[in-house]
Amino acid sequence: MGKKTCWGIIIATIIINVIMVQWTVEAYYGREYKSILIYSGVSIVSAFIALLVFLQWRKVEYK
Amino acid sequence: MTCKKKLARNQKDTNDDMINLVDNLNQEDDLKYNRRAFLKTAVGTSVALGVATIPFSVKAMLGIAEKNYERVEIAKLADLPQGDSVTFYYPTDKDPALLIHTVNGDLKAYNSACTHLMCPVFYEKTQDVLLCPCHAGYFDVNNGHPKAGPPQRELPLIEIEVDKGIVYAVGRQYRHG
Repeated sequence: MGKKTCWGIIIATIIINVIMVQWTVEAYYGREYKSILIYSGVSIVSAFIALLVFLQWRKVEYK
Repeated sequence: MTCKKKLARNQKDTNDDMINLVDNLNQEDDLKYNRRAFLKTAVGTSVALGVATIPFSVKAMLGIAEKNYERVEIAKLADLPQGDSVTFYYPTDKDPALLIHTVNGDLKAYNSACTHLMCPVFYEKTQDVLLCPCHAGYFDVNNGHPKAGPPQRELPLIEIEVDKGIVYAVGRQYRHG
């Protein structure tokens, strides 16, 4: 995976996470508990992907 | 303007401005604020946003879902003429609510804390709407959904029941309509 791809994926995860945080809070206020778990799950997976992609980027960048 | 003492920039020990441009650089900042630092901050932001959703999912899993609702008497229908409203608390003493006998003769009940910033909402019978006076938020009296102003979410609906001329609250719905 190239460095530019890593940048793209990381920026994409930020966008996804901002949206998921907003949807999670809305679901919380609406007492939609199932939706909270779904949105929160997506957000955590997205954060995990960001972390893995960062490690990959670091490997290429500091090679 | 020329100066005789000033050495040209190609001479030894010159003080020519073009040679000393490097003084404008702050090496510390240069090491601190670069694309690598930006990407690290971006990853940190992404992870922080992901982690920020965890408390909500933990609360959802712990079962903060509301328990069964009790049947609570609100008011006698005879005491509530059309166009009038009465305040009550449901399902707990911390949840103010409004029972409305609309000008059309319908009975509606909602929690009365505005979904914008929790100001109390009241029934404006001349316009047949629910009004939050704090920031001019308007809710539809027929379904509790916001019509105008800053509120984005509907007012929680209190399910009511009329039995022998007495109005009871029997349940609550957060997302409805």
